[in-house]
Amino acid sequence: MTVQVLVFGAIAAAANAHSVSVAVPSSPTVADVLAALAAEHPALRFALPSARLAINSAFAASTAAVGPGDELALIALVGGG
Amino acid sequence: MTALAHIVDGPVTSEVVTQALATPAWRAGREGAHTGAIVRFDGVVRRMEVDASGEGRALVALDYQTYDPMADRELTALAARILETHALLRIAAIHSRGRVEVGATSFVLIVEAAHRAEALVAMEAFIDALKVDAPIWKRPIWA
Repeated sequence: MTVQVLVFGAIAAAANAHSVSVAVPSSPTVADVLAALAAEHPALRFALPSARLAINSAFAASTAAVGPGDELALIALVGGG
Repeated sequence: MTALAHIVDGPVTSEVVTQALATPAWRAGREGAHTGAIVRFDGVVRRMEVDASGEGRALVALDYQTYDPMADRELTALAARILETHALLRIAAIHSRGRVEVGATSFVLIVEAAHRAEALVAMEAFIDALKVDAPIWKRPIWA
C-alpha cells in the first residue's frame, strides 16, 4: 500500500513538497514507514535520525500500527522559540 | 497550579500576553503568598541568522509554521508536564504562528514558583523540550 506523509520546515524544503508518498507493506508500522522514507527519498535522510512520526497528531512508537486513513506527519528536531 | 499554553497568529505582543493572563483560569491559579519567584523569558527575532552555507545573514522576519492542532496540544502538554515536574505554581507559554518581524517577540514563557531555583531550571527545561516536542518550524525571510 501507499501512504502519504506530511512534511514541514527543512524537510519540506528538501522534498520541495508539503507531503511525500511511500510504498509500505500491508499492515505497516511506524518503523516500516520510516524505512520506506529513507529508501525512497534519499533527500530526506539528513533529517530522519532526529525525526519522529506522528499518527493523527500524536507521536507514535516505532512499533505502532499505521492504518488506512491515518494522517501521518514527519516531525523533525527543528523547533521554534 | 495553572498551566496555560497558546499559539497566536503573528507576534506575541504585550497586549497578547496581558489578554492571556487576564483569563479566569490564570487568575484563579494565583497562589499569592506561596509565590517567591516569577521569571519571564521573551524570545525575540534577531536580525542575524546563519544561512544554509553557514554564513551570517540579515533577516527581515521569521515565518513560523505550526502543525495544527498538534502544536497547540504538545505545547499544552509540555506546560502541564513542566508545571508538575518542577513543582511550579503557574506556567504560561505563548508562541507565534506566521510572520514575526525582526525585533518582535515570537515566544513568551512565564513561570511562577515558590523559589528562584526551580523557576530558572523549569524555564530552561521547557525551552529545551519545546525545540524537540513542539511541531513548530521557523522559515527565515532574508533581507
